[in-house]
Order: sequence, then C-alpha cells, then structure tokens
Amino acid sequence: MKFLGFFFLTVLLVVLVNPWIPYWGVMILIFILGFVMKSGNLISFFAGGLGMGWAWMGQGLYISLSTGSDLSDKMAGIFGVGSGVMMLILTGVLGFLLGSFSGLAGNLLRKIFHREQRDIYRGPVSY
Amino acid sequence: MKYFSFFAVSFIAIGLGYLSAIQMGPVPPLGLLLDPSHGFWQNSYSEDDLAREEIEIEGLSAPVSIRYDENLIPHIFAENELDLYRAQGYVTAQHRLWQMEFQTMAAAGRISELVGEVALELDRMTRRKGLGYGSEMGMKFLIENDPETLSYLEAYAEGVNEYIESLDQASLPLEYKILNYRPEPWTPSKSLLLLKYMTDMLVGDRDLEYTNLRKILGDELLNKLFPEYPEEVYPVIESGKVWGFEPLTVEKPDSIRYPDDELLLDPLPQPEEGIGSNNWAVSGSKTKSGNPILANDPHLGLNLPSIWYSMQLSTPAYTVKGASLPGALGIISGFNEWIAWGVTNATKDARDWYKVTFKDQSRSAYRYGDEWRDAEVRLEEIKIKGEKKPFVDTVIYTHYGPVVYDRSFRGDRQDTNFALKWTLHQGSNEQKTFLLLNQSKNHGDYLDALDHYVAPAQNFAFASQEGDIAMRIQGKFPLKWEGQGKFFMNGEDPAMEWEAYIPNDHNPATLNPERGFVSSANQHPVDSLYPYYVFDHTYEHYRNRRIIAELESMDQITMEDMMKLQFDDYYLHASEALPVMLDLLGENYEKSEQAEKYLSELREWDFYADPNQKAPSLFITWWNKTYVELWKNLSNSKSPIVLPNNYQTSKLILREPEFELFDHKETPQVESAADHVKKGFEEMVNQMRKWESEEGDYSWANYKQTTINHLVPQFESFSVKNIYTGGGRGIVNATSKGHGASWRMIVELGEEVKAIGIYPGGQSGNPGSRFYQNFIPKWANGEYLNFDLRSEGDLDSVLFTTQLTPSK
Repeated sequence: MKFLGFFFLTVLLVVLVNPWIPYWGVMILIFILGFVMKSGNLISFFAGGLGMGWAWMGQGLYISLSTGSDLSDKMAGIFGVGSGVMMLILTGVLGFLLGSFSGLAGNLLRKIFHREQRDIYRGPVSY
Repeated sequence: MKYFSFFAVSFIAIGLGYLSAIQMGPVPPLGLLLDPSHGFWQNSYSEDDLAREEIEIEGLSAPVSIRYDENLIPHIFAENELDLYRAQGYVTAQHRLWQMEFQTMAAAGRISELVGEVALELDRMTRRKGLGYGSEMGMKFLIENDPETLSYLEAYAEGVNEYIESLDQASLPLEYKILNYRPEPWTPSKSLLLLKYMTDMLVGDRDLEYTNLRKILGDELLNKLFPEYPEEVYPVIESGKVWGFEPLTVEKPDSIRYPDDELLLDPLPQPEEGIGSNNWAVSGSKTKSGNPILANDPHLGLNLPSIWYSMQLSTPAYTVKGASLPGALGIISGFNEWIAWGVTNATKDARDWYKVTFKDQSRSAYRYGDEWRDAEVRLEEIKIKGEKKPFVDTVIYTHYGPVVYDRSFRGDRQDTNFALKWTLHQGSNEQKTFLLLNQSKNHGDYLDALDHYVAPAQNFAFASQEGDIAMRIQGKFPLKWEGQGKFFMNGEDPAMEWEAYIPNDHNPATLNPERGFVSSANQHPVDSLYPYYVFDHTYEHYRNRRIIAELESMDQITMEDMMKLQFDDYYLHASEALPVMLDLLGENYEKSEQAEKYLSELREWDFYADPNQKAPSLFITWWNKTYVELWKNLSNSKSPIVLPNNYQTSKLILREPEFELFDHKETPQVESAADHVKKGFEEMVNQMRKWESEEGDYSWANYKQTTINHLVPQFESFSVKNIYTGGGRGIVNATSKGHGASWRMIVELGEEVKAIGIYPGGQSGNPGSRFYQNFIPKWANGEYLNFDLRSEGDLDSVLFTTQLTPSK
C-alpha cells in the first residue's frame, strides 16, 4: 500500500506540477515526498523512480499519440537510437533515475532525523 | 553509516540532476530535452493545436487580424503599415524564429558561437568578405536617407522580440533545445544582414581562376575556350533592342599590368554552378484569356526550413501575396491586385580583386599611384563555443574594400594581399525596392521601386493588369572598360579603379516587346550591341534557349501551360551532346551485354529527364567521365582554375575533336575527343554496372537522389531524402541533387487576379509539426497550391484566426 501511495503521489506530482516547474523542481518534491512518506528505502527508491519514469513515458506517449507527430522518430535519428520507441524508453529511464535517487535521498534524510529523535526521547531502539 | 548513505545517495541524485541540465560533449542537456513538459516532446504540437484567438502585442495602433488558411499561410489584415510589419515580424518569428536567427548568425560570421571551432574558418571568411561591414553601411544609409523604412524595420524587430519574450522552455523552437542556446533580440541590422546573406549566396566571381588561366593558356586560347559571348546568344533582353540613351564613355588604359604570378590561393567557395532561376511574362496577345501571365521559379539550395515563407499582407490601401524571406520585410516574389513581379539572379562580375602593396609589415599604409594611403584596421572578434577566449581576426580595409586574402588567411606567401571590391559594401536600400513593389500599381511604379536596388543584381520580370509586360535588369553596375575586372588587378594603379556606375536608366530593360513575352534564366543579359562591357563566367546556355523556344512556339497560353513549362524536363544539353558522343563512339568500344543495353536505352531516349527515365543517369555519367578526360591537361594545373562549360565543350567535340588540348601531354600517343568519349563510355559502363549490383534501379530519380537538407546537415532525420522528381542542372525544371526550384509561382492578371504557388517545404519551421514538409510531395509532382488573394471576410477553408490586439 505504501508503495502504491508513494507511486501515485509521484505520478500526480509529475503530471500536475512538472508543467510549471523544471524537472529538478520535481526532484526536490519527490525528495520531500521521500522524507514525509515514512516508507522503507526500497519503496522510496522504486516508487519515486517508477512514478517519475512511468509518468514521463506516459506523457511522451500521450503527446505522440494525440498529435500524431513523428517527432520522436526524428529525434531518435538525431540520437542515433533507432526509433521513437527508444526515445520513449530513454525518457522513462531518465525519469526513473531522477525520481528514484531523489525519493531514496529524502527517505534517508528522514531516517537521520528519526534516529536523532529516538536518541533524545526514547533511547536507542533496535529493529 | 546513515549519514554516509544519505550523503552518497543525495550526491548521486544531485549529480544526476545536474548532469541532465548541462551539455556533455555533443550530447545536449538530456533532462531539459527529454522532460515531456518542457523538452522536445512539446515540439510535437502543430500550429493549429496551439492556436490562440487573441494575443496582446505592445506598440500596435489598432487590432490586426490574421487568418491562416488550410496550408498555414497567414493572411495579415492591418490598418496601417507600421502595424502590418510589426505583425509580419511576430507571425514570421512564430513559425521560423530559429531559421531567421541562424541565417543571420551565418551572415555575421558567428556560427562558431554555436558549434565551436569547426566553423572558425567559415566565420573568418564571412567576416573577411565584409558581410557585417556591408550591413553596417546599409544601416548608416537608412539612418541618413530613409527613416521611414528604418521605422518599419524597427516595428518588425519589435514584433519578433515580442514573440521571443513570450517563449518559455516548452515553446522554445526545437533547434535551440538541441543545440542548447537561446534566441537573442532581433534588430533592424539583422534584417539587413539577411539581405547581405542572400547577396553572398548569389554572387561569386572567378577572377582568381581567370588570372591563372590567362597565365596558363594565353589570351587567345582563353578567349576560344571562354568566349564572352557564345556564337548564338539568347539574351534576357531581346536581341536587336534599340537602346534609347547616349552611353557614358570609358577609356581602356593604354597599358595594363596585371599581377602576373600564378596564384596558389585557395579560392573562396562559389555559388553552386547551375544555381539560378527562371522567370517570364507573356502578354495578353499570347494567352487564351487575353490577360498577361507571369511565372517565376527561383532556384536555390534546397533546405529545410525552406528559405521562403508564404504570406499575404493587407492594409486598406493594398493587398500583396507571395513568398517572403523570414527576416526581411514585405513580399520578395509575388503579386498584388494590380501587378505581379518575379526575380532571377542577374550576375555580372560584381566583385573585383586588387593586389595591395603595403609599405611595411605593419600594413598601416599601401601604395596608390604616387602616394601611400592609410589603411584601416577592423578587428573581428569571433566567439567560439567551449573556448574562453575569442579569436580575434585582424582585417585590413583599403579604399577598395577588405583585404580578404593575406598572410593569415589562405595566402600562399607573406606578401599575398588581395582586397575585394564589391557593391555589397556600399550603403544601399534593397528593402525599399520590395516595400514599393508590394504596393506598385503599374509599370511606372515598378520602375521607381527598382531604382533603389543595388545588389544582388536581379532580372525583375513584370506584368500588370493594365496589360503591360516588362523586364529590367537591376543592380548597381560599375562602368567598366573591356576586360576590366576579369582578372585580378593591380591596386597600385589608379587606372584600374571603377570610374563610375552605369546610370539606372541605362540598365537593360524592355517593355512590351513585339514577340509577346519576356523571359530570363541567368543567361547573358543583352546581345553584344549593348554599349557597356558585360562579362560573367556563369551565364546559362540551356534553360534560356528552351524557355524562349517554347514561349515562341506557344499560343493561346493558359496557366496550365505555364505549369508544364516550369516543370519541363527537356534535357537540351543531352539532346545536343549525346548524338555527337554516339557518333564519336561508333562501334569502337568493348562489347558486352551491359554496354549494348545502355547504348540502346540512350539511342531510344526522347531527351526528357523524367524521374522514371533511365537514360539521363547514363548520359550524365558518360558526360561527366568524358568531361574529366577531355580537360585533364587543364585540371592537372596546380593553381586553381575553372574549366570550359558544357556548352563550349559540346561545341568543341563536335567541331574540333582533334583540338590540341585534348591530347594528354603525358602519354606518347595523340588523343582526340573520340578517345575520351570511348574511355568515358567504358567508365560509365563500369560505374553503372556497379550501381546496378549495389543499388539496383538506376532510373533518374533514384540516381540523382534529390535531397532537401535541414540547415544543420548533421540533423539528417530533419531532412527529406531521395525525393521522386525529375529535372536537373541546366534543365528548366532545375531540380538537381541539392538545388532546384525553391519557389514556383504563376499569376494571371485578369479582372480578378488568379495565382498558384508552391515551395519544397512547409510553412512551419518545426520538424515536429505537420506543416514542416507537407508541400514537398506536391512540389515534387509539379502540383501547386491556390494562392488567390483573400479578403478579410472570406472564411472559406480558414484553419484558424488570431487577433493581435494593442496591449492596454
């Protein structure tokens, strides 16, 4: 459940906020998401990554289909990667990389604070 | 450990974010480019997807309405000219901003800023030729003489800038995203630079090569191989024209000392040979409807985005439509409610070279007659992408013009110094000509408009609703003595100067000639009875004869006939040369199945270079191979030269197959044209056999592979390759591999003006738009789009309408 929540929040972030801010702004938001979501490292990494990656890929696909433009094929020619599908995959992979490390970094920061709080109020806790 | 993981992962995240925002080598910033909300994906939208009903524009005095027709051709309706040109700037930038800016960057010698050191030589050359200097002079001329045109240029610039300011990362034209830079503000001087860029594209000279040829061949052979007039001349202005003026006189100096060394300079790139254009107008006496018809097809390098952008410009006073040049005001080749005009290049050795002798190494003074004159220094600072320090090029200016070749640029020796004299460097106002033509009502207005025109010289064809047809060759032409400027000249000698210019009303012109038509195709402007010296290396010998012969034979002409003539594939050169070659070959060749097949295809050929024909591929290959053999003696020269043209070469192999130069000096036997034709044939057979085994079909379209390249040729996928179309160099439909009809227009000037037009591209400069290349299939097929004038109330096939309103 935590994964799905994180994942969908990320997708929503990308779809609603990305048009208004640059991609690194989205990375900061995913970082904050990782911080507040109280999920594990694996979940923050993959939910952030897959959320941004799928959202980017989906948006690229949507634009391609709705405009009927062959621009992604032409761009693939410039990148030397075969076809427009490869451009979609590249977009998804980059989105994944940017989102995943941002989410994970946010989560790791929370853990630092988390432990310090425990040190102060409850003493060390081992899981 | 937790601190470490956090910092390590954060470092990776920040690193990825950072690396995605910067350019790494040739790889553009990937994050910026792939982000679907801002990157290239956003350029997938076509203009009608992004249409807006209303846009506020600063500086407008009244609302302007713009109707885009189904082909995305804007029709701008403004209340006055200032608003009109402001809107033209805005609308053109919307569709062509990157191209406009890129072309003026090229004209300013600033490509290194975009692509790095690879373009440094090119930029140095552009600047040394003085394109930037010329546009500065043009600006000075406007400030002093024509504040009205300047105010229009400023309004246009503000319109462009209004659009630039509205851009965000998502709407930025694609090329900026890929090459990772941003548009800078447009200025009136950029518009002038664009016109200089056109001049540079169209004007060359072969003075260097002729200087060497004169040294190698001597005057007599030079005149035989490169006669200034062919024996049958079919000039632009009909032969036998009586010139109604008293010519100025010019004295040839008694003794001329040319710089006599063979010159090993690396010559400047020249306009592609065979680049040129056709235009003609037929009078009502020859047309079915009784109305004059005008046709124009300028041939240029074929590029995407197309060099032309179609539009209609309307004020309450007039409505003009046709092809504009993105960056320049008004319509360049077009028509209005009363007249139509079209342009072809009218080259006439407009550039001359002077050897400069400096007093000393400092190059601060040079000899002129008995004195030393002061030279000026112009520092050209060229920024280079990826380098901190700009390259500074020192260019010396003499009163002739810039010293292009010197010890630091393409010079072969320390004392190499050649200055370029070119009308491009003189303040002039070509823009005014087009603004006046746009609103001309009759022949008198047309003549007045042309008086402002300096360079590049053009053959201006004209037709009017009143029933007139006319042609005038307009440019600022120096008054030269016979032979002046054909070779490099000695700059020390004041007798080598251009003494004066030919007055505008002495420029060759004709009105309603008896034969019922005017036409031009870059051939000789006049016959040898014209009282001034006329010389150029590049005059055409084939398209002009075909057009004149066709127009003479036609009667009851319709627009359809004119379409056919613009698309005419008759290969006149082949029709004259092939019979001679077949004759010289006889039975004297290596027999093979292939050879027989090729020969029979050539023998059965009707001389049309249609896309499905096989013979044109065979002929051109045979001819080219033979040509190389014929002129081997000359092309072995170590200094740069030019070779005799196809027309002279064809005449020679017919009449003097034993011509002395055909004998290769290094072989013991004596060769004649027949030997070279035979060798050419055998090489052709080999090459075509190879082609057949590797590529298969050798029909003409497959063989010539007409390609329209994006302005950045490395962006191959933005280019359109292997277009199925006929024609070729020297053919009326002049579509070769990379050159051809960049715009075709036909206008019938009846009660209501009817017009059609097409160009090989599309209105949008965005490779992602459906309007980027949508005209190409029609163009390749010889089809046209409707170009009739539209009124504001006409809503037939309107794609969308945008209202520009003054901002409050």
